[in-house]
Amino acid sequence: MALWFLRGLRRGVVTTGYPARSDDSAARLPTPPAFRPAALDRSTADRLVAVCPSLALRREADVLVFDVGACTACGRCQDAVPGAAAPSGEFELAATSRAHLVKRIPLLREAGT
Amino acid sequence: MTAVRPGASGTLAGLLGAVSGASLSGIGNAVAVRLPAAELERAAHHLTGAGARLADLFAAGQDPVDLHLIWALDGEDHYLITQAEVTGDQYPPLSDIAPAAFAEECEIYEQFGIRPASGKPLNRVMLPPHAGPDFPRLGRQPPVPPADLHAPHTVGGHAFEFPFGPVRQVGVESLYYGLVTSGEEIVDLYMFTWHKHRGLEWRLRGRTPREASFHVERTEGLSAVGVGWAFAAAVEAALDVTAPAQAQRTRAVALELERLYNHAAATAALCQATGLSIGQAAAEIALERLLRLNAAVFGHRYLFGVVQPGGVRRAPDADAVRGGLHGAHGELRRAADALASTNSFLDRLEAAGIVTGEQARRLGLVGPVARASGQRIDSRADHPAPPYVEHRPAVATRDRGDVLARFQVMHEEAAESVRLIDDLLEAGAGDGTQELPAAAGSGLGWAETPRGEALVFVGLDQDGRITRARLRPASVRNWRGFDDACRSQNVFTDVPIIEASFWLTVAGTAR
Amino acid sequence: MTDGDPALSSQQDQPGVPPPASGSEPGPELAAGRQLSERIARQFGRSLHIRTLDTGSCAACEQEIRLLAAPHYDLNRLGFFFTPAPRHADLLMVTGPMVRAFDVAARKTYEAMPGPKIVVATGACALGGVYQPDAFVHGSVAEILSVDVWIPGCPPSPLTLLQGLLVAVDRLAEKVGGLSFAADETQEAAQ
Repeated sequence: MALWFLRGLRRGVVTTGYPARSDDSAARLPTPPAFRPAALDRSTADRLVAVCPSLALRREADVLVFDVGACTACGRCQDAVPGAAAPSGEFELAATSRAHLVKRIPLLREAGT
Repeated sequence: MTAVRPGASGTLAGLLGAVSGASLSGIGNAVAVRLPAAELERAAHHLTGAGARLADLFAAGQDPVDLHLIWALDGEDHYLITQAEVTGDQYPPLSDIAPAAFAEECEIYEQFGIRPASGKPLNRVMLPPHAGPDFPRLGRQPPVPPADLHAPHTVGGHAFEFPFGPVRQVGVESLYYGLVTSGEEIVDLYMFTWHKHRGLEWRLRGRTPREASFHVERTEGLSAVGVGWAFAAAVEAALDVTAPAQAQRTRAVALELERLYNHAAATAALCQATGLSIGQAAAEIALERLLRLNAAVFGHRYLFGVVQPGGVRRAPDADAVRGGLHGAHGELRRAADALASTNSFLDRLEAAGIVTGEQARRLGLVGPVARASGQRIDSRADHPAPPYVEHRPAVATRDRGDVLARFQVMHEEAAESVRLIDDLLEAGAGDGTQELPAAAGSGLGWAETPRGEALVFVGLDQDGRITRARLRPASVRNWRGFDDACRSQNVFTDVPIIEASFWLTVAGTAR
Repeated sequence: MTDGDPALSSQQDQPGVPPPASGSEPGPELAAGRQLSERIARQFGRSLHIRTLDTGSCAACEQEIRLLAAPHYDLNRLGFFFTPAPRHADLLMVTGPMVRAFDVAARKTYEAMPGPKIVVATGACALGGVYQPDAFVHGSVAEILSVDVWIPGCPPSPLTLLQGLLVAVDRLAEKVGGLSFAADETQEAAQ
């Protein structure tokens, strides 16, 4: 056991300081996307909805409804329409109400842009 | 028709000589032999005599049901599929392969209603007790429901059955064990996994391969790359598509990273099972470093979303690998070395959970479990698909078949994985995907996941949509060995140790 | 949070507080309810015992949950402890899409925990992603259990899980409700 004890002392502390301090490893985590309203119209929104494998996207009139709770951060929406979505960087995602995870993103792209 | 490779032609010719009414065809990259059902027993006898390993048994279709047996000719770099149409409720008993095929025979019975003619009782494995005629199946309902089989209590009438689960210790999957014991010694152990059976093979029907791959990699999340690769390879074989070479190397980089973190996780679980908290902490530090490495290299701690049919979705960050791989592996190696010098730990592992070479062979076990029992099988070496053709792994084996042997095999493999990753990056790993035509076909794919060979068989219709996806992660084969391992002179407290050394998942079989 | 009565809705802003009788003004019952809720949260905030429940996961969520006890994350330093005994548990972390064959086991596990208790649905499958409801699965754990906190992710990393546990006991404020996931605002927040 002395072997283990010494190893442990030499190894030192690896424990995160979260939540008191931020943790650099968070920067590498996959995160749900943030969508660019200026890049979205009905047809691009429909393409995003069609490609999502996890039931996280649907379109209601001129709003893209994004369910963060269903999102797996797989990135298929970003691949399908480059520029329409990018990782949000958000990993602190816990919600005390299911509705807080459902986001409504307006489709603001102008015709001909 | 697929050209039959020279080595296999001996076994194949012998098979064709031994049975009558056979016809050959190519299914992608494997040879299919269609036989009358009456010849199946003779075929199975011949093939097992020639050293073939039963790798899978499954059914497809309805009226008639098409029974498929997948045979691995490991010494001849060949997979052989024997197919037979089964009309009526029964097929020949296939006693030569009965021990290996038991779990699959139970699955087939529940899903297709056909059973071997031996009359032996079959367990309920996939579908819950309340599954009535309308419950979704791949075929039709069995005429008589399968039993909730309990093992016979054979120890002089004094054994009792101790049900455990499905909700078990913290942070482990749901699984129901029945432990038959005379007090301390385990007389028998049987498992039901239908509590978390998710019906994946049923759910994949009608989907395109790209849509399906999202779900396939979540069959067994800890083998996302391996099972995803086997599926991608099956689709590519069916459509006669080849992934670009740099994408193939990327797949292997991801698979070896997957192997590394799984072996670290298994080591942590072994330490937890033996009560060595300090060893567990050391292994967990290595595990966390490996998972962060995965996130840096491929953008996901568990390597989801890397493999897709036709190629890969992303290239590895080679700088991240060079910066982190040797450090993380060094952490794991130092933990393993310290464990190998800790007698109190080794004492718990030696002679625990023994699976003999004969048992491993008879049950068709795969992966580190089989290799630790002296079975030198590894689909990367036996059935090399690119890039393993150029980058051949050394196969690690031991003879004792106990928990310690499995621990040693895993750490030898981990070192080999590091070497392979270095070589693959040297040769160049990138992204790239071949487009998939929408066409009919069927194909067999395989990959050596951390827990052993995973097989996937895919059938596509003329729109390129899935008609049958057979998913056979290694866990489907190896849980059978877990029963045997626990039975051989072990006590209750050995069960978690043996379970950690197998490092299977319930999800891989309850799919 | 519920006090063990499944009739209490969990969809309220303040967990544990019963809804006011219609037409009446908030009275002493509401104030007492809030006080009780705060006392419970303070108690949970100091020492919380966690039970896990797998209703059909792919096994990745379980691996991340196990890592909460590992040296890099060490949930014990925050007063959280894992317990295998439902009788000792305060919080239930539930993964998986609630396979229908698991319903009875899920309910029994929940009922074996004495109140007050918190249910945390963990991972995309448990929240309604990945699986559409069908004959095999409900698709989300909220179909069977009364959920108090939802943690997205596939799988949620240990940092995400830690934040979720701290939100569940009111030691961290929820963040996601105020995020729009529409590019301009979220980019500012991420900086």
